[in-house]
Amino acid sequence: MVTVDGRQIEWREGMTVADLLRELGDSYPYAAVRIEGHVVTGPDFGKAEIPDNVEVCLLPLVAGG
Amino acid sequence: MDEFTLKKLKEIRYERQAVEKGYANRTLHVDLSDGSIAVRPVTAEMKEVFVGGKGFDLWLLWHAVKGSTRWNDPENALCIASGPLGGTPIYPGSGKSIVTSISATTGSVVDSNVGGYFGPYLKFSGFDALEIRGKSGVPTIILIDGIEQKVDILEVSGLPEEAHEITALLTDHFGRGRPRDISVVATGPGACHTLIGCLNFSWYDRQRGKTRLKQAGRGGLGTVFADKGLKALVVRWDKVTVSTNDPADEASLKLVARLHSQEIVEQDPKQNHMSSVGTAHLVTIMNDYDLLPVRNYRYGQHAEAARMGEDVFRQLFDKGYDGCWIGCTLSCAHCVKDFVPVSGPYKGQKVLVDGPEYETIAGCGSNLGIFDPLFAVEMNFYCDTYGLDSISVGTSIAFVMDCFESGLIDKKASGGMDLSFGNKEAALELVHQMARGEGFGCVVGKGIRKMKEIFADSYGADRNLMGDIGMEAKGLEFSEYMSKESLAQQGGYGLALKGPQHDEAWLIFLDMVHNFLPTFEKKAEALHWFPLFRTWFGLCGLCKLPWNDVTPADNKQTKEPAKVMQHVEWYARYFSAVTGREVVPGDLIAMSERVYNFQRIFSLRMGFGRREHDSIPYRAMGPVTAEEYESRVERYDGQLKTLYDVDIEGLSTVEKVKLLRRFREERYEQLKDAVYERRGWTKDGIPKLATVRRLGIDFPEVLAVLKAQGAA
Repeated sequence: MVTVDGRQIEWREGMTVADLLRELGDSYPYAAVRIEGHVVTGPDFGKAEIPDNVEVCLLPLVAGG
Repeated sequence: MDEFTLKKLKEIRYERQAVEKGYANRTLHVDLSDGSIAVRPVTAEMKEVFVGGKGFDLWLLWHAVKGSTRWNDPENALCIASGPLGGTPIYPGSGKSIVTSISATTGSVVDSNVGGYFGPYLKFSGFDALEIRGKSGVPTIILIDGIEQKVDILEVSGLPEEAHEITALLTDHFGRGRPRDISVVATGPGACHTLIGCLNFSWYDRQRGKTRLKQAGRGGLGTVFADKGLKALVVRWDKVTVSTNDPADEASLKLVARLHSQEIVEQDPKQNHMSSVGTAHLVTIMNDYDLLPVRNYRYGQHAEAARMGEDVFRQLFDKGYDGCWIGCTLSCAHCVKDFVPVSGPYKGQKVLVDGPEYETIAGCGSNLGIFDPLFAVEMNFYCDTYGLDSISVGTSIAFVMDCFESGLIDKKASGGMDLSFGNKEAALELVHQMARGEGFGCVVGKGIRKMKEIFADSYGADRNLMGDIGMEAKGLEFSEYMSKESLAQQGGYGLALKGPQHDEAWLIFLDMVHNFLPTFEKKAEALHWFPLFRTWFGLCGLCKLPWNDVTPADNKQTKEPAKVMQHVEWYARYFSAVTGREVVPGDLIAMSERVYNFQRIFSLRMGFGRREHDSIPYRAMGPVTAEEYESRVERYDGQLKTLYDVDIEGLSTVEKVKLLRRFREERYEQLKDAVYERRGWTKDGIPKLATVRRLGIDFPEVLAVLKAQGAA
C-alpha cells in the first residue's frame, strides 16, 4: 500500500510517481512530490519508483524566494 | 570580553504613547549632523494612503531627499519601520522590518525587508518608523529605550568591527541581564569599503544563549549606514503579548492566527519542510528544473547540486526553534552551530552561522561553480559579519569569474588571483579583501555596473559582452534564479521597482513549469497582482513565506491556486482584527497599488523609473554564447522551429544564437508593453495621470514630478 495525502493506493512492483498520479486520476500539474520526506521533482516522475508501504505527499506549488 | 566605552552626546526623554490598533502614531527622527532628535505625529492621511512599513518609510524618505540627492549625501535618510500588524506574537511571520534609503548601488530608492526583533520593538517603544539623516563625525550608536522612554545618541569607541561581535556585546551591555529585551542593527567592515553593504538585525535566542542575525541585504543599505558614522542602533523593549499591539478585535485575531498557525504545523512537515531546512529545500528542485544558476547563470543544472541539497543542510543545521520573531510556527531561520571557518580572522574558532538560505547557497555556491556546503556556510558567515549582501557578493564574484574565464580580465586585474570558476580560496579571499578594504575585492565590492566600466576603461574589456553577462539591472545584482525559459520571470526581475530581486514576483513555476500564463495578457496580470500582493506584506510588517510556502491541503482545488486565496482572506481578516478597518482581499491590493505607484514615481524623481531602466542583460533572457546554446541545443532548436517558424537547416550555432536573441528580445519588449498597460502606465513606463488620480496619490509634489517628465 502507498499512502497519498491520506488515501490508500494499491502498490505494485515498479510503480513510478507518474504511474501513481495516473492511477489517482489527478490532472493537477504537480511540480514535486515527497516520498517518505524526500523530494522527487517532475522531470523524474517517469523513472522514480515508489517503494511499498510509504507515504507520498503531493506538492502542487513551488513558491520560491 | 572586549572593552568598549560610551559617551553620551545627546539625550531626549519622551512620554511613550500606548500602541493603538497596531499603530504607535508617532515617528522618530534623528539627524546625526546636528545631533537633533525629534518626535512627530503620524497623520490619518499617512495611515490611509501609505498604511505603514514601507509606505511610511517612503513617505519620510520622499521628504528627506531631493531628486539630486546621492546615497552619500547627508540628507539621504535611512528609514526603518515595522507596520500595523508587525509585532503580533501569535500570527506566523509577523516580525519584519522594512528598510529604505537612496541606494549605494542603484542611486535610486531601495527597500529591503528583514526579520529580527527591531521593527516590533521600535513600534512598542513608541515609533512606527525611524528616520536617520545626516552624518556623525564619530562612531555612533543610537539607543531607543522604550522602557526608560529615552533616545540617546552615543559616541562609542573600542567596539569590534564584525557584526556578530557588535550585536553580542551590545545585547549583553544594554540588556542588563535581560538580553531578550534587546535588538541591535549593525553592519561590518565590508560595508565601509564596498557599495554592497548589508544590515544585520538581531534577536536573542534563549535556547542557544546566542544573539542571532537576519539581514536587510539588498541595495547597499549597510554602506549608507556605515557612511553615516553609525556603528549600531539599539532598541530596548519589554515583554510582548497579543495585547501589546492593541488589536481592535483580539478574539478575531486569535481565531485567524490559530487557523494559520495550525495549518503550518500540519502541512509544513508534508510540504516544504521550512521548519527543518528553510529555503534550502529549493536547491535540488531548482536544479532538477534547470533553474539553479551555475557558473554565472550560464546553465541551470549541475550533477553535483545534491551535495548542497536539503538532506545535507538538514544534517548541518542545529535542531531547535528558529523563528526570527516570537511565535512564528514556520520557524525557518536555521543556523549552523560550532562552525569552524578555514579562512580569515575567525579561522579555527567555533562560530554560530545564521543560515545559509537558498540564495546564499546558490549565489556563493553553484553560481561560482562550487558545490561544497561548508564553503557556502563559510561565505555566509563572513558576508553577514562583514556586513556584505551575500546575493550581490555571489553574483558579482560569478561575474568576475566569467570575465576571467572569457579573457576579459586577467591576473593583472585580479591582483594575481586565479579567478577560474570553482576556486574556493579565491572567492573567500575576495570577501576578506572587501572587509580589509584592499586589493581586487574592493573593485568587486563596487558591484557589477561599476565593474563593467572599470574593466572596459582599464583593460579594454568588451562592453557588449559584459553587458550581456553582467547580471545586474538598475545597478542591482540579480538574485539566484535562472529566468531564461520564463518570460514572466524576466519581467519579474526587470520590472521590479528596485532591481532584479525576486521579492516582487517569482513566477517561474507558474509560467515555465505549469504553463498557467500562456499569453502576454496573463503574464501581465500576474506581473500586476503578485508584486502588489507581495508589496502588502512590506506595508504591514509581515513575512511573505507563510502566505505561499505552505498551502492549505485543498488549495489545488481552488480557482487560482497560485494566489493561495484562503490565506489572502485570512490576511484580510488579520488586518481588520488589528486595525479595526474592515477590509476584503481586494482592498489589500488597493493599498499596495498606491504605494507601488508612489515608489515608481519616486524612482522617476531620482532620475530612473522609465522603460529604459527596465532593461535586463541578455543572459537573463537566453543563451549568450554558442556554448550555452549547444548545451541545450534540442530546446533552442525546437523553439526556433516551432515557436518562430524558422528553417534552421544549414544555420551555424552563432547564427541561431543571433536569431533566438532577436525573437526573445522582441518578446520582452512586448511584455513591457502589456505590463505597463495593465498597471496604468505610459509606454515609457510612467504612471499615467489618470492612474495617479484613481489611486488618490495626486499630491502636488507627485504631479510636479510627472509634469517634469512630460507626463502631466
